[in-house]
Amino acid sequence: MMSTLKSFLRHPTGMIGLFVLLAVVILAVSAPWLFPDDPWDMVGAPFQPPLSEGLWLGSDMLGRDVAAGIAHGARISLIIGVISTLTSLIIGVTIGATAGYFGGKVDEVMMRITELFQTIPGFILAILLVATLGPKISNVIFAIGIVSWPPLARLTRAEFMRLRGREFVQAAVCQGQRPLTVVLRRILPNAISPIIVTGSLAVASAILIESALSFMGLGDPNLMSWGFMIGAARTVIRQAWWMSVFPGLAILLTVLAINLVGEGLNDVMNPRISRRR
Amino acid sequence: MTSASINSGGRVFAVALALAGWFVKFVAVVLVIATFNFILVHAAPGDPAQVIAGQSGASDEKLLAQLRAEYGLDKPYPIQLANYLKRVVTLDLGYSYRQQRTVASLILERLPATLLLTATAFTLALLSGIILGTLAGVRAGKWSDTLLTIVSLLLYATPVFWLGLMLVLLFSVQLDWLPAFGYVTIGVPMTSLQRMGDIGMHLILPAVSLAAVYLAIYTRLMRSSVLDVTHQDFIKTAKAKGLKQGRIIIRHILRNAMLPIVTVAGMQAGALVGGAVVIETVFAWPGLGRLIYDALLQRDYPVLLGVFLVMSVIVIALNLLTDTIYRVIDPRVSVRAAS
Amino acid sequence: MNRREFAKLMGVSAVALSGIPLGITRAAGQTKGGTLNTIIQPEPPILVTALNQQQPTLTLGGKIYESLLRYSPDLKPMPGIAQSWEVSPDGLTYTFKLFPGITFHDGKPLTSEDVVFSMTKMLPETHARARAIYSRIDKAETPDPLTVIFKMKAPFAPFLTALDCTTGPIVPKHIYDGSDFRKNPANAQAIGSGPFKLKEWVKGSHVHLVRHEGYYRKDEPYLDEVIYRIIPDAASRSLALEQGKIQLTQWNDIEFYDVARLSKLPNYEMTTKGYEYFAPHQWLELNNRVKPMDDKRFRQAIAHALDLKSMAQRVYFGMPKIATGPVSSKTRFYEKDVKRYDYSLEKAKALLDEMGLKPGADGKRVTLKYLIPPYGEVYQRAGEFIRQTLGRVGIDIQLENTDVGGWADKFSNWDYEMTGNLVYQYGDPALGVSRTYISSNIKKGILFSNTAGYSNPEVDKLFDEAASATDDTRRQELYSKVQKILVEDVPVIWMFEAAYPTFIDKRLKNVTSTGVGVHESFSSVSFG
Repeated sequence: MMSTLKSFLRHPTGMIGLFVLLAVVILAVSAPWLFPDDPWDMVGAPFQPPLSEGLWLGSDMLGRDVAAGIAHGARISLIIGVISTLTSLIIGVTIGATAGYFGGKVDEVMMRITELFQTIPGFILAILLVATLGPKISNVIFAIGIVSWPPLARLTRAEFMRLRGREFVQAAVCQGQRPLTVVLRRILPNAISPIIVTGSLAVASAILIESALSFMGLGDPNLMSWGFMIGAARTVIRQAWWMSVFPGLAILLTVLAINLVGEGLNDVMNPRISRRR
Repeated sequence: MTSASINSGGRVFAVALALAGWFVKFVAVVLVIATFNFILVHAAPGDPAQVIAGQSGASDEKLLAQLRAEYGLDKPYPIQLANYLKRVVTLDLGYSYRQQRTVASLILERLPATLLLTATAFTLALLSGIILGTLAGVRAGKWSDTLLTIVSLLLYATPVFWLGLMLVLLFSVQLDWLPAFGYVTIGVPMTSLQRMGDIGMHLILPAVSLAAVYLAIYTRLMRSSVLDVTHQDFIKTAKAKGLKQGRIIIRHILRNAMLPIVTVAGMQAGALVGGAVVIETVFAWPGLGRLIYDALLQRDYPVLLGVFLVMSVIVIALNLLTDTIYRVIDPRVSVRAAS
Repeated sequence: MNRREFAKLMGVSAVALSGIPLGITRAAGQTKGGTLNTIIQPEPPILVTALNQQQPTLTLGGKIYESLLRYSPDLKPMPGIAQSWEVSPDGLTYTFKLFPGITFHDGKPLTSEDVVFSMTKMLPETHARARAIYSRIDKAETPDPLTVIFKMKAPFAPFLTALDCTTGPIVPKHIYDGSDFRKNPANAQAIGSGPFKLKEWVKGSHVHLVRHEGYYRKDEPYLDEVIYRIIPDAASRSLALEQGKIQLTQWNDIEFYDVARLSKLPNYEMTTKGYEYFAPHQWLELNNRVKPMDDKRFRQAIAHALDLKSMAQRVYFGMPKIATGPVSSKTRFYEKDVKRYDYSLEKAKALLDEMGLKPGADGKRVTLKYLIPPYGEVYQRAGEFIRQTLGRVGIDIQLENTDVGGWADKFSNWDYEMTGNLVYQYGDPALGVSRTYISSNIKKGILFSNTAGYSNPEVDKLFDEAASATDDTRRQELYSKVQKILVEDVPVIWMFEAAYPTFIDKRLKNVTSTGVGVHESFSSVSFG
C-alpha cells in the first residue's frame, strides 16, 4: 500500500492530475465561502461579459453569476460522479464476481446479460430511464449506474477467473469456507487494484454522462450543474460565448485530472500490464 | 481437392456460421429490447390521449375516450405488448399519434441522416486513429508523439456536446467558414451535385465533434499496439532480413496492430450511436437522435420504441462490420490460405 | 359584386343592436401577385382545422378554411363568408346571409347546407371547444342556399363572438357527410373555401399554398402563393429572417431573446398585434386544495412578492403586458378598476406572519413544488425566476421537470402544487375566462378546466347570468363585479398578457388586420 503510494508520488502525469483534482475538490468544498450567494440568484444585469464588475466570468441571460455557478456546480458533478460510480461498482462487481467464481451456466447467463447491456446504446438507455422516471438526482444516479456497470463486470469476472485457479483460493474452498467468505476475504483483496483503476476512470465517464443528460434538459432542475449551464447557454451562444466556454472547461479539466490519476494508478499498481512510455 | 479449395470451402462455412450466429443474436436482442422498453415506457405516468386533447386548447371526456379507443390505449398491457411484438416481427413498427404517420415511415425518413453522420464519424475516427496512432508509435518518444498524446488526452476528456459548441463558436460564429446547424441551406435551389456538397459542408462539424473522442481512444490504442508489435520477434526478423521500413510497417505492423483497434471500435459502437443523439441535438441534425428526443417530449410511445430498436440494430450492424473487417485483415487467416 | 352593391346589402339587413362596421379595408390599388414565404413551427400533423386545433394547424389552416365571421382587433364582428347577420331581440334566433358565389377548392359551391353540417354535425364531434358552444344550438334551418338560421336553446350572447376561423371552420358536406371524419381520405387534400388551396406538402420541408382562383371576394386574394417553411431549430429561423428568406414570423418562431436584435433589421416591422382574439393569459396556478394555498392571505402574499416588472424584463425581454386580473385588457368586458397587488416584500411577509407561517431556522416558512410547463426554455427560466423571488419571503420552491404527457396528466388530475398556465380567452369571458373559475367546471382529468379548484357560489352566479344576458351594458356590469371579487380572492396569480413577436416584411399590407392576426385567411394581404 505504502509502496504504491510512494511510486505514485513519483509518477509525473499522475501527480499533475492529482493536483488539478485536489484544486477542483477544494473549489467544491469552499464554494459557500468564495461565493456565499445562491448561484441561482440574479445578481447582475443579463449577458454581462467576463471581467465586468464583480462578475469574473460574466453573467447569463437572467443575470446569474457564471463563476458562482461553476464553483457550486463542482460539488454536484463530483458527488454525482462518485455515487453513480459506486452504484455501478456494486452492480458490476457483484455480477462479475458471481460469473467469475461460479463459472459454467451461471457465467453464461451473466455474460449474455452483460453483452446485452453493452449492445444497447447506453446513453439512449440513460435518457429513456431518466425521462421515464423523472429528472431527479436520484434517477440520474440510478441511470448512470445502470449504464456503466458492464465494463466493471467484465473486468471483475476476468480477475476472478484468473484468481480462482490459484492455490490459496483452492485451499480455502477445500477447507470448506463458504463462497461469500472466499470471495470477500481471499479473491477480492487481490482483484482490487484493477477494479480501483477502472472505478476511478468510471467516475470521469459518469461526470461526462451526467453533464450530457443535464445539457439535454434531463437533469434535476434544482441543481446548478456544469452540464445544465452549458445547456442553458446553447441557444444564446452568439450573444454570450462565456456561458458555454467556462463550464465546459471545468468539465474538461476535472475529467482530464481524473483520467490522469487513474492512469497513473494503473501504471503504478499493474506494472506488468502497463505500456511502455 | 487442393488445399486451397479446402480452405476456401472452410472459409465460406466459417463466414456462414458467423452470419448465422449474428442473426440469432440480432433476433434475441431485438425481442428483448422491444419487451424491455415497452415495459419501461408504459411504467411512466402520463396519458397520451390527454396530451393530444390538451394541445387543442380545450378537452373533454368524450374526446379523450374517442382517442383512447382509436389508438388502442384501453387494452390491457400484455395484449398491447403481444400485438407490438407480432408487428415488430413483420416490420410494422406502429403508428405515431402525434405525427399522424407510421413509425416506419418516420424512421426511414430520418435514418439516412443518422447513418450518414455515424458512418462518417466512425470511419473518420477509425482511419484517423489508425494513421495517427501508427505515426505516434513509429516515432515514439519524439515531439510529434508527445503532441499527439497530449491532444488525445485532452479530446478524451472533452464532453462531446461541448466540443460541438466550441467548434460552432469558432468555425461558424467567429470565422463563418462552416454552417452552424441543419442539414442543408434552405430556400436556395441547387443541383444534385451542389446539394451533395452543401450536405457535406453541414456534415463536417457534427461528424468531427462526434468522431473526436473515439479518435483519441483509437490513436492511443493504436500507438501502444504498434509499439507492442514492433518489439515482437517476427518484426525483428523482418528487419534483420533487410526489408524496407515502409513495407514492414504496412505489411506486418499495421495488420497486426489494427486488430485490437477494430475490436474496440466494435465495442464502442454503442457509445458512438448514443453520442449521435447529443450531436444531433446540438447541430439540429434531422436524424433519429432528434426524433427520439422529440418523441420523449411528446411521450410518443410507438416512435420511442421504434427508434430505440432501430438504433440498437445499427449498433449490432456496426458490430458485424467490425467482426467482418477483423476476419478480413487477420493475417493468420490469409497466411493459411497463401501457403 | 362591387362596393356599392355590398353596401346596399348591408343597409338592408341592419341589425337591432349596434351597426355592423364595414370590415373590409381595401387600400386603393393593392398590388396583385407575389409569393409570401413564412414559417410554421412545429410542423402541423394535419391541415384540417376541424379535426385538429393545435396552433400550427390553426395558423396554416386559416388560409384554407373560412367561417361565418371575422373580428376586428377590438373584437367587433366583421363579415366572413356571411356578408350580413341579424340577431333577434330575444337573443334566440341568429340569421346569417352568405355571400353568393362561394366555392370550395374542388369547384363545388358552398351553401347553407355546408354551414349547418359543419357547425351542427362535424365540429361538435371533432372540435371540443366548438362542441361546448355549438351544442347550445337547438335547431338549424336552411330556407335557401344563401341563408342559415340558428335557433338557440337559451340566449347566449357570446355565440356571435365564437364564429371565427379557429372555432367554426366550414367544411364541404359533400365530402364529409356520412364518412369517418378522421379517416376520410380527403383530409390529405384539405378542401376548404379559403383564398388559398393546398398545392403540395413536402413533409419536413414546406407546405405550398396557391391562390384559389374562384374566390368569392373580388380581386382577392392578392398573393399568388404562400409557402410555409418548416424549420425546427430556433437559431435557423432567426437566421432565415436575417437573410430575408422569409417575410413573416409569428408566435414562438423567433425566441424572445432575439427580438431586440432582430427588431433592428431595417426591412421588418415587429408587432405584438394580431393575438387579440386569443389574448393568451399567463398565470401562476396554485392548487387551492393544498395547504397553505387554500388560504386567501397566502395567495395574496405571493401576489405581492412577485416582481412582475422585473420578470417581464429578464425572462420575456420586455415583451408582455402585466395582467391585472382574470380578464385580459384585450378581451371584451375588461374591468381595470380592481384591487392592485403592488410589488412589496414587506406586505407579503406581513400577510404570511399574520397567517402564522413563521420562518424556520433556515428562513423557510413553507416548501412547495413547482411543476415547470414543458413547452420550452422560457418556461424553465420563468420557473427559476419565480423560485428566486418567492425564496426572498421564505417560500421555498422546489422545481420539477416533466414531459408534455406527464405535465398534462399531473396537472389535470390535480397532482400538483404550483405550476404555470397559459390559457386563451377567445374574445369573450363566457368563452375563455369563466371555465377557469366556475364550480361546474371542476373536472378531474381535463386540462384548461377549473384545475385550481376554486369555488365561489357568487362567482358562479355572476358568470352564469352574464353568459345568458343579451344586453351588453348588463353584461359589463356583471363581469365588472365578478372581476373585482376574483381579484380580491386571487385564486391564481395572474402574471402577463402574453405577447408574441410577429415580424412582418415592411412591404406587406394587412397581415394583422383582424383579431386573429396571422390565423386569418390573408385574402387581403399584398406586397404593397
